[in-house]
Amino acid sequence: MLFNSLSFVVFLVIVLALYYSKLFSWTSKKVMLLLASYVFYGLWNPPLVILLWISTVVDWITGKKLATEDNERKRKLWLLLSMFANLGFLGFFKYRDFLLDNFTTVVNTYGYGYQAQTMDIILPMGISFYTFQTMSYTIDMYLKRTERAKTFLDFALYVTFFPQLVAGPIVRAGDLISQFYEEKKATLDQFFWGIFLVTIGLFQKIVLADILLSGTADTVFGSNKLLHGLDAWIGTLAFSGQIFFDFAGYSTCAIGISLMLGIILPDNFKYPYASLGFSDLWKRWHISLSSWLRDYLYIPLGGNRYGITRMYAALMLTMLLGGLWHGAAWTFIIWGGLHGTYLILERLQRKYIPFKITPWNGMFLAFITFSCVNITWVFFRAREFKTAWNMIKSMFYMQTDGEKILEPFDILKVSLVVALLFLCHWVMRNTSMKEVSLKTSPMVLGIVWALMLFLIAIAQGSGEQFIYFQF
Amino acid sequence: MQLKQSLIIAFLLSIIGLSVWEIYWRSQGYYPTINDEKSLWALQRAKVETASDDQVIIIGSSRAYFDIQLKEWENETGKAPIQLASTGSSPLPTFHDIVNNTNFKGTILIGVTPGLFFSTTFPQASPWSRAQSKVDYFKNRTYAQRINFHLSIPLQENLAFISADEEEWSDDIDLKSLLRQIQIGKRTEVPIKPPFYNFGNVNLDRNMSMINRTVVDTAYANSIIKVWNFFGKSAPPPDKKSTMAFFMEDLKKFKARNGNVILVRFPSSGGVRMGENHVLPRAEFWDHLVNQAKVKSYHFEDYNQFKNLKCPEESHLSKEDAQYFTSELLKIMKADGALTNSKTN
Repeated sequence: MLFNSLSFVVFLVIVLALYYSKLFSWTSKKVMLLLASYVFYGLWNPPLVILLWISTVVDWITGKKLATEDNERKRKLWLLLSMFANLGFLGFFKYRDFLLDNFTTVVNTYGYGYQAQTMDIILPMGISFYTFQTMSYTIDMYLKRTERAKTFLDFALYVTFFPQLVAGPIVRAGDLISQFYEEKKATLDQFFWGIFLVTIGLFQKIVLADILLSGTADTVFGSNKLLHGLDAWIGTLAFSGQIFFDFAGYSTCAIGISLMLGIILPDNFKYPYASLGFSDLWKRWHISLSSWLRDYLYIPLGGNRYGITRMYAALMLTMLLGGLWHGAAWTFIIWGGLHGTYLILERLQRKYIPFKITPWNGMFLAFITFSCVNITWVFFRAREFKTAWNMIKSMFYMQTDGEKILEPFDILKVSLVVALLFLCHWVMRNTSMKEVSLKTSPMVLGIVWALMLFLIAIAQGSGEQFIYFQF
Repeated sequence: MQLKQSLIIAFLLSIIGLSVWEIYWRSQGYYPTINDEKSLWALQRAKVETASDDQVIIIGSSRAYFDIQLKEWENETGKAPIQLASTGSSPLPTFHDIVNNTNFKGTILIGVTPGLFFSTTFPQASPWSRAQSKVDYFKNRTYAQRINFHLSIPLQENLAFISADEEEWSDDIDLKSLLRQIQIGKRTEVPIKPPFYNFGNVNLDRNMSMINRTVVDTAYANSIIKVWNFFGKSAPPPDKKSTMAFFMEDLKKFKARNGNVILVRFPSSGGVRMGENHVLPRAEFWDHLVNQAKVKSYHFEDYNQFKNLKCPEESHLSKEDAQYFTSELLKIMKADGALTNSKTN
């Protein structure tokens, strides 16, 4: 089920009515939330709910064993069992064809003429998100960083909680399970703020991402021609805006819906396009994933504890795997590799050519960071390496005779939206929406809110899927 | 923060804004209509799964869609057909889907618009992909999408501003369509398509009928004729060999399970007909198809009842003429024993 659909509106109204009904106990309400979450997921593809169940049961049993077992060897075996089950599903559903394709290519370079049997496997929506979430519980249990979930119901709800099930934020057990222990009820202000966040999220997704930007990005990245530099840049900027509004829109909706239930989810985006460098970017973009990668990959790989070379290797490996997490393709690995390179170069710059960031050079630095991020989006969006390389060539004017495929209005529209996006992130980078709304008069806030509702309604979104569902 | 106050203001202003928006578009001549989209097609396609042997399915392009009126058909035969024709599309992907993915062995009436039937078998080409995308949608639609469609019906039936046809008409009024109309200069080599205004209304049974404005407003009809000319000039040459081979293979399978196929060439007139006769002459295309297929077939030029029918925009019949055409065609087909699997009155 998509947040930007009529069925979700009806679903949410029913869930809220039952949640705030005085007829049910807190346990019954949690059972209702769990069932609602299965319905939310199952209305897309019912049989794939079984994967969620398996993941839940495996990690519940593992967590139980890890909580009671003292033998380190056995504890490690339980952890490996959980990792094997979770990563096994992920590997089979997401990476099987990619691995097989590459295996076939390598084998056939030696002249074996091997023909791989592709299975055309359906990718379970959001599998990377819930797999990482449930794995974090088991790893934290193994490292004794979190308490075991009190009941199976609390744990199952943690794995399946519908607002963040298919596209995050990826929430740690300590941050969410404990919220299920006692009855939760949103205050009136929390409830209204939740509705406001849902409105903002839907506006970002339906109006900004789908209506204003996706068409241009699709036209440019769908073209098999060598493009004019301006077209390539505008297409990339359009995707840059689209993916932010799409993903941040989902996260904002998820946080808003949870808040309406009185449950608090962490922020996933903090105005990332005004980042001052790449370390700053990863503290602002998809925060729940970058912190997951830091805690469960970068630090276990050694982090900065074993010297500079090892640190750079850990950083690069983390970013390469982060790229692969997004999709089973070499273009995603290159995307991760570019970010790894940026992070290493930034650390080298800090060491050898340090400079102080002032308000004067800050905006320039943010602009440089944003431009470099755009280059990585080319590899993220292009379906084939050839398309990405053609785009890069066009963007840097190595392709002087490229074809013009965008009309002036498309260029103007994308430039305006992305420029406003960048400026908005710059202005907001040290504050929050909540703080700004507190300083805004109720009338102005109401008018802005109404405008967003009006534009959402006349946009009549065709229920486009969120980009991050495929990851 | 006084969110309650802001929420009330937002709620009231958005209701006022949407009411003004609705009133404005109604004052411009818009009225609530059903969107012709994949989910509507899928609703009819689902009926094929349980269709009996006396059921008739109509496939083809927009002529089979506009020119067969379901009510008249039901009056004549006692049973409404399943309408699966699709605008601007080749009938071959839909025929292939029914033959290969269902057990249906009733009657399939195929509308043959030569420029589309013989156009292509290339999956990415528009006449093919438009039909195939509907077939794929039916196969892959989720339960959530089904619910969304049913929930959207009351809105489509009651609000004029809910108007986002899949066709992307020049007079659609959803936000994306309104933005699409804005042009500031020209930068690409892509030829500008003349404005393409909606000229039909569909209902929930997928009965399509021409709107009256197309019949009475010559300028409006001419704007649509310009679009046919544009398409005619930009269309690639027909691919008779591969389309015939593709069709004949499925036809053989369908006949083998006692399925009944009827071919119908619906009327066209004026410049469109002249263009069709020039690029896709009857003897070379229609007659060849009929000779190879060896099924009941009806060309409008062969019947006195149809010879003088005039299409207002040269390609489709007005609602009244379509009603007449449907009744007369059924009389001819019944007299000819074409509806062998159907129970007729």
